[in-house]
Amino acid sequence: MRNPRTGWLLLSPTLIILIIFGFAPFLYVLFVGFNQWNVFSAEDGLIFNGLDNFRRLVFDEDFLHSVGLTLRFAIFAIGSQIVLGFLLAQMLTRNFPGKSIFRVIHTLPLMVAPIAVGAIWRLLVIPGFGPVPFFLDRWFDFDYRIGTYPDQAMLTSVIMDVWHWTPFVTLTMLAGLSAIPREPVEQAKVDGANRLQVFWYVTLPFLRPVLLTTVFIRIMDAIRTVDEVWMLAGGGPGTRFTGIYIWRVVFPRTDYGYGSSISIITLYLTIVLCWLLFIAISGKSKDEVE
Amino acid sequence: MKKLFTIVLLLAFALLANMSLVTADHHGWWAEAAAPYAGTTIRGVSESTPPSNYVADVLAPLFTEYTGINVEFETTSWDQMYSKAINDMEANTGIYDFVYIEQDIIYSYLAQDYLVNLTQAAADHPDLAFADYDEAAFTSFADYFKNADGDLFGVPMEAFVKVYLYRKDLFENADIQAAFEADYGYPLTPAETFEQYRDNAEFFTGYGEGMDMDLWGTTVQGSTGHPASTYEFLESIGPSFGLYNWGINLETGSAQSANGGALDGDTAVEALSYWVGLLPFAPPEATSSTWDEVASSFAAGRAAQGWVYGENAAWIATDETRSAITGNVGVRLPVTAPGVIEDAEMGNGYIGYYDGGAFGIPHSSRNKEATLLWLQFIGQPSVQAEWAAAGARITHTATFDDPLIAEQDTKVDGYYTLLEEQGPLFAGAPPFPFHAQVREIIDPFIHRVILGELTAAEGLSQAAAAVDEELARLGYGG
Repeated sequence: MRNPRTGWLLLSPTLIILIIFGFAPFLYVLFVGFNQWNVFSAEDGLIFNGLDNFRRLVFDEDFLHSVGLTLRFAIFAIGSQIVLGFLLAQMLTRNFPGKSIFRVIHTLPLMVAPIAVGAIWRLLVIPGFGPVPFFLDRWFDFDYRIGTYPDQAMLTSVIMDVWHWTPFVTLTMLAGLSAIPREPVEQAKVDGANRLQVFWYVTLPFLRPVLLTTVFIRIMDAIRTVDEVWMLAGGGPGTRFTGIYIWRVVFPRTDYGYGSSISIITLYLTIVLCWLLFIAISGKSKDEVE
Repeated sequence: MKKLFTIVLLLAFALLANMSLVTADHHGWWAEAAAPYAGTTIRGVSESTPPSNYVADVLAPLFTEYTGINVEFETTSWDQMYSKAINDMEANTGIYDFVYIEQDIIYSYLAQDYLVNLTQAAADHPDLAFADYDEAAFTSFADYFKNADGDLFGVPMEAFVKVYLYRKDLFENADIQAAFEADYGYPLTPAETFEQYRDNAEFFTGYGEGMDMDLWGTTVQGSTGHPASTYEFLESIGPSFGLYNWGINLETGSAQSANGGALDGDTAVEALSYWVGLLPFAPPEATSSTWDEVASSFAAGRAAQGWVYGENAAWIATDETRSAITGNVGVRLPVTAPGVIEDAEMGNGYIGYYDGGAFGIPHSSRNKEATLLWLQFIGQPSVQAEWAAAGARITHTATFDDPLIAEQDTKVDGYYTLLEEQGPLFAGAPPFPFHAQVREIIDPFIHRVILGELTAAEGLSQAAAAVDEELARLGYGG
């Protein structure tokens, strides 16, 4: 007979760590979010100001702009990663010469720290010195300057993120594809389904849980992107994402109260976005889920 | 002859003996004073700059050798240095025993009472006071680390002014001079007026294009993702036009002209328009350039003239491994509008920012006495000249006369003489206790003006309004 106490006892170290390093800081941020607290203000310490911070961010154009940019970044980056990751995973289900080497090389970006990824890409694209602007100018007479053109900075951030994270999507998709039983696919083919129909009616439904998990993970990552984009463009126009905006408010501006409230709202937006996507991808309504 | 040789030999021995006695004496003092703290480890954080690297590589090991006190010195990025120091001091965690105090943040730190009063600490511990260490021997830059009573809160470790650098090989080339005069109707010389500066910039950009060279007319520290651009405008371009203290009136707590400020005034708009108007004559990396990239661009020979921080002047002029224009660097005071020099001489203004930093001891330090010894060690005159030669920094009056610096001065076209004689025309940052907070507010507007999304007048008008709002929120505004 199982003793539930033993289970709780075994779980307790993990629970204690989670409470100390996860739950307690969250509660603290929540508390600070309802206070005015800037260490360099004339009045020192925390001053309770109710919902003022939250009211302020609704009218904060910089914050709203950063949310818009982050969503654009997330949509383009994750969309590209899902499509590319799926195609690469499909490719890797087949045998071709050099497959093992390709798989290793393809996975390498995953092992690079985001800050190093940002540094590598900065060296590639820095105007005046990087090879990318040099060759774009020489071959196509194209003026490529991420410090001058916000759209170029955004596009470069998306490409960098796709380069970094597509291998992760490929691996999860590959796991999903490998788990699909052969019978339904073969049966569909016998019934005369073409490749698109097999994909749409058989492969995709089987892949849905993997797809959902992958999209969730990537959305959470994309919304909190800071380090690689910071390294690439310093959070300049076109890349002033929410994570970078929070960093600016909390650290250089030392506006801890307002920064905390933005963090909470960003977390809330992430949860809502994931929920909406869950419903959209899984096709389940709230009642069905419950 | 034999007698003369013997005398010379004896004199040499005596000199060597004297030198070793002096060293041994000082060595002995340091060892004795530090005896209670031997084995202690003190920790510090600073921005990774040539002077800081010299501290980490040379001075810290030397101090450990003298005292037995270990120094763990972290050199990091400018942003990180700020965050780490402030978080440590605010949370009172005591991770750092000494922190780098950028001159412009000192007033914020003093307002929060983060720092130990070094003058008072030395008076309280006469047994730790090193005889050769003298607060009065620092240059006028040390004044920016003192409170109203004249007490020192940081030992200056680096000080520079942002100067006008130009390429002598271009400006003194007879063919180029003739071409310039043919185009503009007056001789080519290093700029003395803003009009001349712009003409030079335009000419050299065209010249570079015509000769298929990677050459542009001017540097612009115009990063659109970094505060460096705001700093160039507020601390170099603005003051040289006559815009002082960032256009913020501390008495009224306002940046708006309507309330006594000047950030949205005519002078500010004129200065910003002029500066942004130079972008077509700057290298393509200008909108991604902070102070480091500006120095790199100039050192690579990509700009004919520019505003460059003095800490880079020495290596650009002399270090062949890093600079393509060694031996061809001219140094002058930055261009100023009429009346600005006079304002500076009268003490009513300044022509640019007296940049630099000091090491201070946070109240949160757990090893204040050991750190007090360390700060005196780096503030003593005997270590200054080598340090200055390695990092182009001078904080001690005696360093200017050192033969090593006098020799280097000729190689950098008199930069050190300029620093000594014209240094007082520059000034530290305005005494704001809200420095970084307000600068962060202004940044996005300057960036948008650089990108052409706002005109200079629109950008500064919106920036001034946002600054006033932030000042009110912080409790400093009206």
